[in-house]
Amino acid sequence: MSLLEVRNLRVTFDTETGPVQAVRGVSFSLGRERLGIVGESGSGKTMTGRAVLRLIRPPGRIEAEAMTFDGQDILNMPEREMRALRGKRIGMVMQDPKYSLNPVMTVGRQLTEGLRLRDRLGRADAVAKAIAALEAVQIRDPHRVMDAYPHELSGGMGQRVMIAMMLIPEPDLLIADEPTSALDVTVQAEVLSILDGLVRDRGMGLIFISHDLRLVARFCDRVLVMHKGLVVEEIAAANLLAAKHPYTQGLLNCLPRIGGPRGPLPVLDRTGV
Amino acid sequence: MSFIEIDNLTVTFRAQGREVRAVEGVSLSVDERESYGLVGESGSGKSTILRAICGMAPVSGGSIRIAGKVLPAQRGRAFSADVQMVFQDPYASLHPRHTIDRTLSEPLAIHGMPDRDARVVQALVDVGLPPAFRFRYPHQLSGGQRQRVAIARALMLKPRILLLDEPTSALDASVQAEVLNLLSRLREEQGLTFLMVSHDLAVIDHMCDRIMVLQHGRTVEEISRDDLAKANMNTPYARSLFEASADRMLGSTTEPAR
Repeated sequence: MSLLEVRNLRVTFDTETGPVQAVRGVSFSLGRERLGIVGESGSGKTMTGRAVLRLIRPPGRIEAEAMTFDGQDILNMPEREMRALRGKRIGMVMQDPKYSLNPVMTVGRQLTEGLRLRDRLGRADAVAKAIAALEAVQIRDPHRVMDAYPHELSGGMGQRVMIAMMLIPEPDLLIADEPTSALDVTVQAEVLSILDGLVRDRGMGLIFISHDLRLVARFCDRVLVMHKGLVVEEIAAANLLAAKHPYTQGLLNCLPRIGGPRGPLPVLDRTGV
Repeated sequence: MSFIEIDNLTVTFRAQGREVRAVEGVSLSVDERESYGLVGESGSGKSTILRAICGMAPVSGGSIRIAGKVLPAQRGRAFSADVQMVFQDPYASLHPRHTIDRTLSEPLAIHGMPDRDARVVQALVDVGLPPAFRFRYPHQLSGGQRQRVAIARALMLKPRILLLDEPTSALDASVQAEVLNLLSRLREEQGLTFLMVSHDLAVIDHMCDRIMVLQHGRTVEEISRDDLAKANMNTPYARSLFEASADRMLGSTTEPAR
């Protein structure tokens, strides 16, 4: 049985000028695998990720035919039970560590907060577990990082702290929304290999949301290409180069390549799609 | 003699008694109408070099010459008529409460240029925007349109050198292609010299003839475009950047297809 099943998901925002649909009927199912969702700004990829956790606030609303996680109906689940699911069974890594970590709390306090309140661990146990989590994301000096404030960390470190924080409760599903977009390429590779290891070792499911088709192609098993709130193509990552939909092809072709031709890059024909 | 000559440039920031050398002993030279790229990761000093040319960074050593002349300490009007910069984030680099018209005509007013009306319209046409956009505010434009305005603004005074600081990294892939094409066309049409900074090796490779790889404020290696295409680099760091470049991730397409 699949871990997550989403059927005909719609996210609608009621605005002064009428309803705007950010996601217009997205269906997918996810096993213990790496699913990539790619698309440009405004394609609805982030909204899809947030809708799975029911993290869309009014005036936005979520509708779907079905949304089940591990056999439970998460579409109609009471908010109280949903809260118990968030973090513990479904984790989310946001794009920018600068805005997602609490700037006035040390990393250590943020990491142990959940352990102490939710799991009712003692101080020493919580600290030990937090340090283990930091080590799992390959932070070399976890004790220093525990005492640091977010602004004292580099972008790559901050992003690793966020991943560590999400991994402490050992979720079954991790939704990572552009987890490496703010990072340098070499750091990006490290963060990806950490995520990769977690999927392999723990059998975690991963939804990897990104605007970077090439990154997703290399990192994920399966890719959903989104455009204007719709999935235009679902394809095995290995076959991405054989993509059929003109939008996917356009996205691939407009990227410059090292050693590629010097002429004007092909641009997307926006009238067609 | 080269058009832009940077010799042994060092930039030192001082804060709370600590000194940080953002750039250390970097030398480079760019010919007229050449396109030169600076690549490196965050903190490599690539943007600082551009800012140092504009007089926006504390230069503590070395020299910068343009067309053989050492730049004066106060850059002044003659400098801005020759050298202009395009910044990374078009959401931050345009004044949110000035119309596009005001943003574009300001440099003309400062430099006392005539025919402002016609020049603003021409500038918009040059970057592929409808002239009616004059009376819009930045928030009424998309990211790609804003970056076009930022490029138009930089070209108002007909400069010879354009300093490009990650001009497309805040944009979507398809919009990036449009802006890169625009920059290539303008360089051709107006005979511009580019000094371009990016963390994306594929973008730099597409746009530039020669490339300098920087790390921790120092030069790692200078590579020609041909050598980059052949993966002909001498230092392990340049190679690791090349290997980690997102472009490599599509493996099979990079090798054949040419």
